Amino acid sequence: MKKLSIKKLWKLFVGILVVAVILFFGAYFVGTKLRPYAYHGMLMQSTEPPGDFTLIDHNGHRMQLSDYEGKWVILYYGYTFCPDVCPTTMMQLGRMMPLLGKKAKDVQVFMISVDPERDTPERMKEYVTYFHPSFIGLTGTPEEIADAAAPFGIYYKKKEVEGASGYLMDHTASVTVLDPQGRVRLIWPYGTTAEEMAEDLLHLMR
Amino acid sequence: MNEQPDPTPVDVSSPEPEDEVFPEERQLLPSFGNIRLVWIVYGIFGLLLLITFGFVTFQPIKVLPRVRLAPGYILTDQEGNLVNNEQFRGKLTLYNFTYTRCRPPSCRQLDTIMKEVQDRVDEVETYDLPVEFVTISFDPEYDTPEVLKAYAQEIGADTRTWHFLTSEDPKQVKRVVGTGFQVYFHKRGEGDYEFIPTIILVDGWGIVRGIYNGRVYLPTTDRILSHLNVVASEAAFSKGANRVGYEAAHLFLCYAD
Repeated sequence: MKKLSIKKLWKLFVGILVVAVILFFGAYFVGTKLRPYAYHGMLMQSTEPPGDFTLIDHNGHRMQLSDYEGKWVILYYGYTFCPDVCPTTMMQLGRMMPLLGKKAKDVQVFMISVDPERDTPERMKEYVTYFHPSFIGLTGTPEEIADAAAPFGIYYKKKEVEGASGYLMDHTASVTVLDPQGRVRLIWPYGTTAEEMAEDLLHLMR
Repeated sequence: MNEQPDPTPVDVSSPEPEDEVFPEERQLLPSFGNIRLVWIVYGIFGLLLLITFGFVTFQPIKVLPRVRLAPGYILTDQEGNLVNNEQFRGKLTLYNFTYTRCRPPSCRQLDTIMKEVQDRVDEVETYDLPVEFVTISFDPEYDTPEVLKAYAQEIGADTRTWHFLTSEDPKQVKRVVGTGFQVYFHKRGEGDYEFIPTIILVDGWGIVRGIYNGRVYLPTTDRILSHLNVVASEAAFSKGANRVGYEAAHLFLCYAD
């Protein structure tokens, strides 16, 4: 049997090492960069917008959802007397904005009140701008709120409780992301962090 | 001027003659013995292409598209209890839209298919995901909870998992059935509606995953049962590393028939 020289053995060793390194980084590249992005929220393949709605913004002006065509719209349904779920989610949305960098200007966050009895435009303004100055609070008549909530899968119901507040609102706690054509693209469940939201949104906006 | 011959003798016993075969490539990438880096790179990309092609062709994972959001609602069931969409979160729900005065053969009912699916749902592996059935009447003036209860008994529905819903407010019915589920219905006269008989499959996230329109051809029970399994499988297995495969199936439109 022919003996391999030291030089050839060395070359073979380096060759195997290089192949192993390439395979490792190749697998890492495929596994992290080329694989389909797994969203933290639930990605949708909607082809049509669920519908338009008309409400009153926190400056007292009538607005339509379709006025914001061309922007990435984030809808959150809550109310200002909400003790825990709403402020937690709004805080995450507020923290998400700076994480979006320059793309933040293409995003509009709306909080839609499910408690129009108590949530006046003035109260909504004070509440939503506390979390981020660009956020817009929306309210309207009970009928308008119902029309704006149902097509987006939002349920809400008054729940009487003992105490000063009188009642709470049971409501769907997820956040809905619409693309610039008004189609639902992503649903974030309650508990999604600002970092996860920003990561998902930046991936969608590429 | 005459060229002088090269005085250097040619060494015919050169130890690595194979290095001379692809001199241009050797300038770009180094080689190690018989294995050239360029071929390794080509090989990796070829393998990637092959994997993608294989995934798209053989579709090892089947999914159903995430069509749109199912609407949010509060309605009243056949017992007079309030029922909302959040109660079906984390479950698979089959919705059907009709009115009790619709009588075959002049009016097409999909209740029989709903009943068959309910009777046979145990044949399907749903990985412990509960399956619920909901029939929403768009004739609230006539279909009171009492009427719906009698109707449920008449068709033999198991009301432990099958809910018959209505509302006192016709606007709410229109909002949920028409705008929300996008099912067409129109009152032609007293007790007579024009509508598209439809069954809709909604997943545990409240997302519409299947629409079975019975206007021309009736949907088959087998197809609906098989789709329940497809959606349940995704809910059960689309976790961790497997989620990448399921997302790839959505990306490459690997939809179940």
